[in-house]
Amino acid sequence: MKILVADDEIMTLRLLEQSLDKAGYDVVSARDGRLALEQLCLPYGPRLALLDWNMPGLDGPAVCEQVRKRSESPYIYIVLVTSRESKQDVVLGLESGADDYLIKPWNPEELKARLRTGQRILRLEDRLVEARETMRFKATHDHLTSLFNRGSIVDLLDRELTRTRRENSCSVIMMADLDHFKMVNDSFGHLVGDEVLREVARRLLGSVRSYDLVGRYGGEEFLAVLNNCDTSQALLRAEQIRNAVANFPIRTMRGPLAVTMSLGVLSSRDWPLSNSEEILREVDAALYLAKAAGRNCCQLAKPNSAIETPQELLK
Amino acid sequence: MAEKGQVMTQPEDHSLQLVVNLPELLTRVDNDRELLRELVAIFMVEFPRLLNTLRENIARRDLKQVESTSHALKGMLAGLSAKRAAATAARLERMGRNGDLSCLTDMASVLEREVEELLPELDSSIMEPNQ
Repeated sequence: MKILVADDEIMTLRLLEQSLDKAGYDVVSARDGRLALEQLCLPYGPRLALLDWNMPGLDGPAVCEQVRKRSESPYIYIVLVTSRESKQDVVLGLESGADDYLIKPWNPEELKARLRTGQRILRLEDRLVEARETMRFKATHDHLTSLFNRGSIVDLLDRELTRTRRENSCSVIMMADLDHFKMVNDSFGHLVGDEVLREVARRLLGSVRSYDLVGRYGGEEFLAVLNNCDTSQALLRAEQIRNAVANFPIRTMRGPLAVTMSLGVLSSRDWPLSNSEEILREVDAALYLAKAAGRNCCQLAKPNSAIETPQELLK
Repeated sequence: MAEKGQVMTQPEDHSLQLVVNLPELLTRVDNDRELLRELVAIFMVEFPRLLNTLRENIARRDLKQVESTSHALKGMLAGLSAKRAAATAARLERMGRNGDLSCLTDMASVLEREVEELLPELDSSIMEPNQ
């Protein structure tokens, strides 16, 4: 494990470097507080630190305070190692954000035992963060397809519309619905239906850019938000997505199934002042028209109900 | 750790009679004589430099720097288990902190003498074979 040792006194620094290296740590050294802070702020920097109190640049407690201000970063376990032995100093050091306090000259076995305690706490913290991230993923993603769930994709649409207005850019919103999906479930069972949904989700993600957003809006309905995508590209992108689903049958436990999808498409530039609720209503209306037009097609929503299909664009 | 606090406040402690507490020092370096040699070599360079800085601080009556330099000396000497000299450096540190100018020069000379006494012990400690 990587550990930072910071001390301006070279003899102490050398002693710590050697004994920690022997104990199997990957030792990083710093001879002043600013360099110590720099090391601790690096991505994948040390998560364990032994800091001297008196150092040029920044003293140990000041380094602790700066590290603790970075609330989103992984936790760093800090031990202040100092010859300041008054109770006031111990309290001051711990209140600056240090986790432990060791008085020089230290007993090497005690130092190693305290560092093992630090490692235990870091492992516990890692497990808690992992559990939190799992919970966060479950709360924001659909369990079947792993796409964003309805609540998340609508929130993201809200955010994207705000950003689009602020930057005077354009986003394309698509509402996609599998055609005759009820028949898949009724004829082949729900397990096959689930296989179809998972594969369609995979193809949707494969048809958009990494920074576009795709969510499962309902049973067999999907919502996609394509950032910085111009109106002129909207139907082209929708057709690519439709083809990604329609062009190749989906392999299921009951054999390959031909599945198609209808899409309602909307460019935010055509509805510059609308909120997400209005946008969703309009794109849903365009999807309805795509279904009415025979399914397996895309319809672009236009203000005043002027709906365009790819064929009309070509005229 | 705690023992050091006791050393600083209990002059009757027998460990203070030792110029260098060699068993403690060897434990600290994990019986690594090579490392000990390296630390002593660093000390031979760093101690005269810091002592010189201390004398300059005293001559300028810069008590804040007296405290800071004495603190560094104390840490270095305690690291070598030179408890008596470390205790003298701690007294110098306190004098700097408390603004006590009365006998700083004398105390710096005491420290220098104590370190001169410990040098032969350090020399012999690094000559002994690895256990």
